Amino acid sequence: MADYISLFVKSIFVDNMIFAYFLGMCSYLAVSKNVKTANGLGVAVVFVLLVTLPINYLLNEYLLKPGALKWLGDNYAGLDLSFLSFIVFIAVIAAIVQIVEMVVEKFAPALYSQLGIFLPLIAVNCAILGGSLFMQERDFANVGEAATYALGSGIGWWLAIIALAAIREKMAYSHVPAPLKGLGITFITVGLMGIAFMTFMGIQL
Amino acid sequence: MKDFDFKETFLNPIFKGNPISVLVLGICSSLAVTVQLKGACVMALSVTIVTALSSLVASLLRNTIPNRIRIIVQLVVVALMVILVDQVLKAYVYSVSKTLSVYIGLIITNCIVMGRIEAFALGNKPFASLMDGLGNGIGYGLILVIVAFFRELLGSGTLFGFRVIPESFYELGYMNNGLMILPPMALILLGCIIWIQRSVQKELQEK
Amino acid sequence: MNTNSNTYTVIYSTVLVVVVAAVLAFAAMALKPMQDENIKKETITQVLTAAAQSDSEVNISEDTDVMAMYVDKINDAFYVDGNGNRKGQMNMGKEDVNAIQVATTSDLKKQNDIIKKIEAGQADLLQSLELPVYILDINGKEITVIPCYGAGLWGPIWGYLAVEKDGKTLAGAVFDHKSETPGLGAKITEDFFEGQFPGKVFGDGEEKFAVVKGGAKGAANGVDAISGATITSQSLGKTINTWATYYEPYLTKAAAKVSEETEAVAESTEDEANEIVEE
Repeated sequence: MADYISLFVKSIFVDNMIFAYFLGMCSYLAVSKNVKTANGLGVAVVFVLLVTLPINYLLNEYLLKPGALKWLGDNYAGLDLSFLSFIVFIAVIAAIVQIVEMVVEKFAPALYSQLGIFLPLIAVNCAILGGSLFMQERDFANVGEAATYALGSGIGWWLAIIALAAIREKMAYSHVPAPLKGLGITFITVGLMGIAFMTFMGIQL
Repeated sequence: MKDFDFKETFLNPIFKGNPISVLVLGICSSLAVTVQLKGACVMALSVTIVTALSSLVASLLRNTIPNRIRIIVQLVVVALMVILVDQVLKAYVYSVSKTLSVYIGLIITNCIVMGRIEAFALGNKPFASLMDGLGNGIGYGLILVIVAFFRELLGSGTLFGFRVIPESFYELGYMNNGLMILPPMALILLGCIIWIQRSVQKELQEK
Repeated sequence: MNTNSNTYTVIYSTVLVVVVAAVLAFAAMALKPMQDENIKKETITQVLTAAAQSDSEVNISEDTDVMAMYVDKINDAFYVDGNGNRKGQMNMGKEDVNAIQVATTSDLKKQNDIIKKIEAGQADLLQSLELPVYILDINGKEITVIPCYGAGLWGPIWGYLAVEKDGKTLAGAVFDHKSETPGLGAKITEDFFEGQFPGKVFGDGEEKFAVVKGGAKGAANGVDAISGATITSQSLGKTINTWATYYEPYLTKAAAKVSEETEAVAESTEDEANEIVEE
């Protein structure tokens, strides 16, 4: 249990997707102009990560990684399909996003009106594919760990985008040098937030 | 279809319409590999190749792609190119591919690649698309290399792994700036690049 | 042609998938030998680097032909089981450089999985372990290189320990990792950390080795942890400790054999024996 908590907290703060790995930057910068929409995208990211990562974990475990096809018989034990992982992961993500969109639209119209516009954006959000690739590289022991990691990094991303949106709302009233306005100051703000987040590196669990 | 203007398609994305500093495309992942110049160069090269080739392929296929599965087809084309690049890197420059780790895979979701296919390649002839892809890739790579140059020079005192700041400087009390190695500095440097670029090209400034 | 009809879409996607799969499979097959070669080369470089720390005259840089050097220095390479019995021979590439066999990290991972099962109580698996041992001759000095492999903070960490003839004293160590935090856990690959290992001695009791926070205070079987990277350091200590435990039967046997030989020499010529002891 302690492992899960440690992994969870670490993936939110220490290995924050935005500040430590720059994952999902495009939509992070594009959709952080106000808190409300930022919140919507953040929730959608958490949701999609939580669904796709365990699925990709299972695919990796039983289909892609070297020796993963052992369950088919000893003849298949030597096969290594890991070169297909990028394409499988992205296909799963695109498909899941599509399905999630349809399901949400059908069964939770209220949620759909909030998340709807963000879902298609998310298929090409690096944070989602990045989550799956990091999962593969870090070699998690079971689905539980993969899901914990997904939840943690999703929440980390969510926190980061809300924080930035709040800062940008306030920044609209400050006197920023003309060439820095908009994009420039946003980058510098994110950089400073990243430095602030680095203080979490020392936490021990 | 308008006539193909080499200068416009190839050079514009490198400077005036630079995908990172002007269009805010594809900053995603690749900044994480700018700690060292070597990694950044390989990354820049990989992105350029992937952007150019997938633009070319998408442009060749543009009249056959069923509209409904357009995005998926684009993703598959891009993923194909990225896997090829990844496999080649693993075979020929293993040590570099190790440092780039997952970031090569993340080129798939780099907005720049998909963005150029969607915005340009699907409506233009193959050669023009190839040039557009190349130009955007190079424009993107240029920024990566500039950021990496400063981070490696100031952070480690080396370039391409070779020491450029002489020992005697260190004896006089010069110190490497450890902050430069940390991820947030990539963003701050990028902010500074934009600052400089927009001070020169005033028409890019945001209101 | 109507590119929006269902049939067209289905046929189109099928053809696309087949073409893409074919291209990828072809590329993967064509490049696989070179990729495997790179992995092998990396393992060999790490084995050599660990062993070479015992002798400042042996240098390994990026330009070194590690394959040729390995063939030149290697005396014996084989597998042992958890009871210290020799199991199988690895090809040392004396006839053909390309035939060199080493245990790559994925092989080490398999062994680590077995070790985990043994730790969980399945003691009968001891015989099924296949732990690699490399014996190298570094300028006349016999060095045994043994690997270790375990989980770090984020992903696997592994390393190679160079052990001297007595089966206890370390002559060098090399570590590597897959995804530890840069600037913190990733520092285990740096010289200042690896440089602490030569001269350390495996302990006799439960604790063979430790990576200690706040300084090993000169303990013979411990080194200083990396500040800020507690989990990586602790995991590394644990990994070394575990693997050293499973290599102990072999190392003890090998050391006993060496001392027997030394005694035999000692009986024949006392002077020479003294020199050996002094060495």
